[in-house]
Formats: sequence, structure tokens, C-alpha cells
Amino acid sequence: MTRSPAAKRNLHALWLCAAALLVAVVLTFLPALEFSTVVFTKRSGNTFVGDERYLEARAEAEAAAAAFEGAAIHETVIERVNSKGETTSMVTFDVKESTRMTIWQLLASIGGFSLSSVHTAHAFALCVLLAVVLGALSLRGQLACEHRHLPRSTRVLRTCAAWLGLAAMLCVPLFGMSCNYNFTRQVSLYLTEHAELSGQAVPALERLLYSAAPAGELEALLDGMTMTTLWPLWALLPVLFVFLLGLILLCKGEIKPTLARGGLYAFVIVLCVVILYPFFVMLITAFRSNAETTDMYFLHILPTTWVWSNISDIVARGVPRFLLNSILLSTGATAIALVCGIPAAYAMARMQFRGKKSFLGFVIMSQMFAPVVLLVGITQLMNTLRLNDTILGLMFINAAFNQAFAIWLLRGTFVSISSEMEQAACIDGCNSVSALIRILLPMAAPGIVTTLIFVFINAWNEYTISTVLISTPTNKPITVGITQFSSFNMIEWQYLFASALLATIPVVILFMLIEKHLVSGLTSGGVKG
Amino acid sequence: MNSILVRHKWEPYLWILPSLLLMAVFVVFPIGIVFKIAFSEVSKSGVVGAFNGLANFRAAVNEPAFGTVMSNTFYWVVSVVGISTLLGFIAAMVLNQSFHGRKLARSILVFPWAAALVIQASIWNYIIKFEYGNLNNILLNLGILRDAVNWRTSYQIEFIWECGVGIFVTIPFVTFCVLSGLQSIDAAYYEAATVDGAGFWKKLSTITVPLVKPSLTVSTVLNIIYVFNSFPIIYTITKGAPANKTDTLVTYLYMLAFYDQKKGQATALSVIGFLILCAAAGLYMTITMRKEDEL
Repeated sequence: MTRSPAAKRNLHALWLCAAALLVAVVLTFLPALEFSTVVFTKRSGNTFVGDERYLEARAEAEAAAAAFEGAAIHETVIERVNSKGETTSMVTFDVKESTRMTIWQLLASIGGFSLSSVHTAHAFALCVLLAVVLGALSLRGQLACEHRHLPRSTRVLRTCAAWLGLAAMLCVPLFGMSCNYNFTRQVSLYLTEHAELSGQAVPALERLLYSAAPAGELEALLDGMTMTTLWPLWALLPVLFVFLLGLILLCKGEIKPTLARGGLYAFVIVLCVVILYPFFVMLITAFRSNAETTDMYFLHILPTTWVWSNISDIVARGVPRFLLNSILLSTGATAIALVCGIPAAYAMARMQFRGKKSFLGFVIMSQMFAPVVLLVGITQLMNTLRLNDTILGLMFINAAFNQAFAIWLLRGTFVSISSEMEQAACIDGCNSVSALIRILLPMAAPGIVTTLIFVFINAWNEYTISTVLISTPTNKPITVGITQFSSFNMIEWQYLFASALLATIPVVILFMLIEKHLVSGLTSGGVKG
Repeated sequence: MNSILVRHKWEPYLWILPSLLLMAVFVVFPIGIVFKIAFSEVSKSGVVGAFNGLANFRAAVNEPAFGTVMSNTFYWVVSVVGISTLLGFIAAMVLNQSFHGRKLARSILVFPWAAALVIQASIWNYIIKFEYGNLNNILLNLGILRDAVNWRTSYQIEFIWECGVGIFVTIPFVTFCVLSGLQSIDAAYYEAATVDGAGFWKKLSTITVPLVKPSLTVSTVLNIIYVFNSFPIIYTITKGAPANKTDTLVTYLYMLAFYDQKKGQATALSVIGFLILCAAAGLYMTITMRKEDEL
């Protein structure tokens, strides 16, 4: 009997699934978690390995180890040279008690002291089981069928099976992480609220970890208890991945497009998570209490209580004034930049004149020099003009340093609009000023809004010049204002981030509005001419 | 011709006058002052004295920190621009595919570009704190770490973090520039290449890269300028400590001018910075002007 290619491929996929499943089952019977604690420590004095004092200490450690089942002795030797030039050693004997458990044992041990992460293990087992059942159900009589001829119900079954396979795969790292987290939490809870929990916790913990522990020493044993995940747990990941591949092959017939798609989504998700991470940190830290911002241990990911009063606190400490200054500064800078930039961009886009190229070169050159490099010059200039420590001065500086971009973006917009209408208007006796105002500006509105927002955001985010030029607290824009919460020896993170949050929200929203136009403006204005 | 009638010969100059004036006063004038101070004697209190040739330059170059600062600046610009261009290019390739949530992903990507650098630098400064930083907190909570890790054991590592933050905030700009270039590529090229049997890499090297090159050039050159002049990240995270070991040129000259009151040396460094940027500017101009020939 010869098989069709589809049947052959399906059969291969089936074998792949079965083999992966078998390996996965074997792996779940290997120890996946190790709980360990140091039950006894003995330091020998200055000795030489093998001498009397060493043996004495070792014997003591061995005696302690004998009380526990499966305890091992770890020797740490620190060598040093004494004043006589002899090398002596200090030997530390740690009696380490450890218990290894397979996933199945852990599942079976659910009792009073339950690790809530066991649910992940349940979910994992359930996912695998369901995937197998659904996969099997879809196989009846259809192994030889081409994928595009499969009945709808079969396709749905197989797709579900593949999703379950993915879920099972994702359960593994989740299990590892939440196990560790929950275990540490349970132990620390037990140690702090001993009396309340002991009724149920002690026997369960004993059963879980220390069937041979001397009675009444549990607390001491739990102190410093650690949990490690062992390799069989992580080996489940690639094995389940192979299982998933088999399922995908069964349901789609081809793996490559599905994997490429999955890779695409994985990349996008990772990218978004990384990008949002600092902003997430800003958000949650803005609503933490002061004590919580500087406490790492026993701190939850989210604030234990959301301290909304942080906002009213920063309001009381002058942040509204900073925001107002920022609005003033950015609006003024934008207005100046546009009033100067629009005519220049108009001339650049529509008129021919000598020195046009040099002016363009000048504009581009001015883009090269950031205000930071010119700070000394700028402060001198501001002193001369009596504009230092004023918002007005900042407006002019920001406008001037954004001229290049404003002209650039506006010129790009103007060039992309045909000049026929204006030419017609000029023939009708309209002068170039009214041609610009009545005809070109309305048509160029999107480009102008983009420029406007872009300059506004740049002025809003400017930090360096403001920090040098402004010393009066009531004149500070928000970017400089937030630094008042970080002094040399103490930083009030919650206030810093609460004000930063207020400063960030408007610009991010504005930026999202113009993102599309801005980019095409930047490159087309710059490149296409 | 896409131009309108000009009645008077001087009219265009009137149009560019406000812009010219604004830039002359607030950009060119400070440049002049900086150059003047750079070649003059400056007292501690900031009084500018007589012309003294290259003395300020000699003093600035002979500072022990000068070498470190210059090499830091080099590493800073090269690593931040290089890596962010590479990553931004990859991100743009991915975001150019159509998939669910693409608009959302693009909006999210805007965040690091839109938010103020000083704010983002503060956040990262908090994240990587050893005693209570959020990175340790999250990793401990997820059970990935068992003990807190000191993420900033030495100044070299802190400098790497600063470069990382620089890359983080630069990627969106590159991505969006490349993305706009990618979107203007006619899909027919790819179809033709597919028919001819070209694989992914072949298409990338013969279609995508050449056609995206103009956008990539603009973004790279602008980035070189921005990154060179970038101040808040380093100033917020390490302030150049310890002993100027993590300073770049701009943070160093800021410290010289406003903390050490060595305005002469600081302006000399500004001039050196100019010269370096002028090389970049010249490069940019030749590239841009070549495209502007039809102007």
C-alpha cells in the first residue's frame, strides 16, 4: 500500500507529537525542584586540612548531618598566610539538607500548606491532556486528507489543540517563576505569622520537605530555605516546543509561515514590553508611599496601597506653576518659531533668489549646534540682553534652535503643494502675502500643525538651557522643576515620578497625533527636496 | 516651475529676514561669543580679558580627563548611533508587516521619542539602583533572581547602561525614518524579485537597503549630531562621576564651565566640538546638497 504525501506528512507529525509527549512525561518524573537549607554550620579555627581540629569539627558536622536524611556536608576552605609565613586554612562545614521533588510529587502534596503555583502545574497537565484528546479526536479517518480539504470541525479541533500546546509550553516558565515566588512568600509568611498558620502548615510542610526532621525544629529549618528549579523543568520547554510544532504541522500542513507569524508577534510583544517598562515604572512609582519607593524586599510589583495624595503633595509643592511655565514657554517658542519660520519656508519653497543655497546651508548648519555646546555664549548673550532667568529668554532660544526643523518641515509641506492656485491669484493682482495667507496656509494646515506640535514638544522637553538660565524657582519649567525632588542625599522618587507623569502625558498624546505626518515630513522634506 | 512671481528683487530677502534675524541673534551670536572666549584670557569670575592664542586649548587638552572624555564621546556616539540604527532598522522591518495591533505598536513606539530625556534618564536611574531599584524588585518578585544584583558595580558598567538608555531613546526616531522609507517602496519590486526566485536576504540587500538608504542617511547623520550633543542622560545618571570617567564632551564642558568656573577651557572644548560636528555637517551637506541640485 502506498501512502499519499499528505498522509505521510501527517504521520510524521503524529510521530513527532507522540515522541515529544513521551519525553515530556519522562521529564515530569525527574526531580524538577530542589528545596534546600543549611541546617548546621561549624567553623573550624585556623587549621591545616587533615589535622586534629579539622577532624574534630568534621566529626561534629557529621553528627549533625546524621540527624537528617539526605543531608550533605559542604566544605569551604579559606586559605591565608599568617605572620610566620605559613599557610593556614579556615574550614567551614555547612550541613545542607535538601529535598528534591518531581512535578508529580508536588501535585500530590497539596494540603494545608499549598503552593498556589501548583495550579500552574495543573493547568500545564490539563493543557497537554486536552491537546492530546483534541488532536486524537481530529484524527479519525482523516490522516490521509490534504489540509485544505479537511472539514471545518476537524480544522477547528486541531487549531485548538495547537493553542493548547502553546499554552502548555508557556506554563513551564510560569510554573518555575511562580513556584519560586510563592514558596518564598509562604515561608516568610509562616515565619512571621507562625501561630496563625502552624495548625495546618506544620504537618503539610513536614510532609512536603522534612519527613525526617527532628520535631520542633521546623522554624529553624525554614529560615534561610531556598528553592531552585532543576534542569528537567527547563528541558520541558524545548520538548513541548517540538510537540507544538507537530500539532501545527497537523493543523496547517506547513510550519514555516506559522512560525514566522509567531516570531513576528513575539518580537512586537517583546519590543512593546521593553518600551513600556520604564513608563510603567514611572506610573507605579508615582503612586507609592515614600517608604515603599526605597524598599526592595517584600515589595510587590504594584503599590501595596495606591497613594493618590502624592498628586496633591506635588501640587502643594509648586508643580502647577512649573507646568504653567512650561506651557507658556512652549507656546511662546512655537509662536515665535512659526512666525519666523513660515515666511522663510515660503520663500524657500516658492521663490528664486541669489543666496538661497547659502541660506539653506546656514539653516542646516544651525541644526548642528546644540545649545549645550553654546551654553557659555548663550548665558553671556542673555546677560547682555537682560533676559537671563526669564521665560521670555527661553522662548527665543527654543524658537531659534528649532528654526531649522520648522523651516525644514514647512518647506517640505509647501513644496508638496502645487503653486498653481497662488500663481493664478498673483495674476489676479493678489500679492504674495495674501496668496500665502489665503491660499497656501489653509492647504498646508496638516503640515503646519505637525510643525507646531513638534516645536512645542521640543520646547517642552528642553532641559539643558533652562537648568542653566533659570534660577528663580517660580520661573522654572517642569523639566527643571522636577529636579527639586532629587537633592544630593535624598531623592523623593514618588514626587519626582508623579510630576514626571504629569509632564509626560500631554506630550506623548500630542506626539501620537503627529507621528505619521512628522516622519514623512522629516524624510521627504529632507531628501526629496 | 513650482515658483511664484517676485515683483522686487529684494522681496525674498524680506521673507527670510525674521528667521535670519532670530537665528543670527540667538545662534550665531553665541557662537561668536564662544569663539571669542575660547581665544581669550578668562578670570575665575568670568571676566573676559585679552587675546591669548591657543592657551585655553592647550590647557583643555592637557587636563588629565581630556583623553577619557574624548574616547568616551567616541564610544558613546558610535555605540548609540550604530546599535540604535541596527535595532531601529529591524523594528521598522517588522512594523512594516501587516498584523493585528500594528497601529497600537506604532503608538507605543512613540513613547521614548516623545518623553523628555531628563525624565527617562531619571526613570532608568531609579530602575537600576541596587538597593531598591525596580529591575531587582521585579526580577525578585517573578522569582527570576534570588538575590538582588548590583547592576552598577563599576563606572564602566554604568557607562554601558547610559549607552543603553541612549539607544533606547534613539530607536524610535530611526524606526520611523526607516518606516517612512519602507512604505514608499513599491510592492511590485518585491513581487518581481519573488518571481525571479530571490530569497529574503537577496531582497533585503538589493531592494530594501538601497531604497531605504536616503532615509537611513538622514536619520544617521541627524542622530550623530543629537547623540553627540546629548546631555541629560549622562548628567542625570552619573553626572560624569567618578572623576570624569563617564563624561562625554558636552557634560564635561558643562561641568568645566558652570562648576569649575573654567570658562576658557570649556569654550575651547566647545570649539573642538564644533570642529568635530562641522565634519559631520560637511558630510551631511554634501549628501543633502547632492539631492538638492534641482533647487
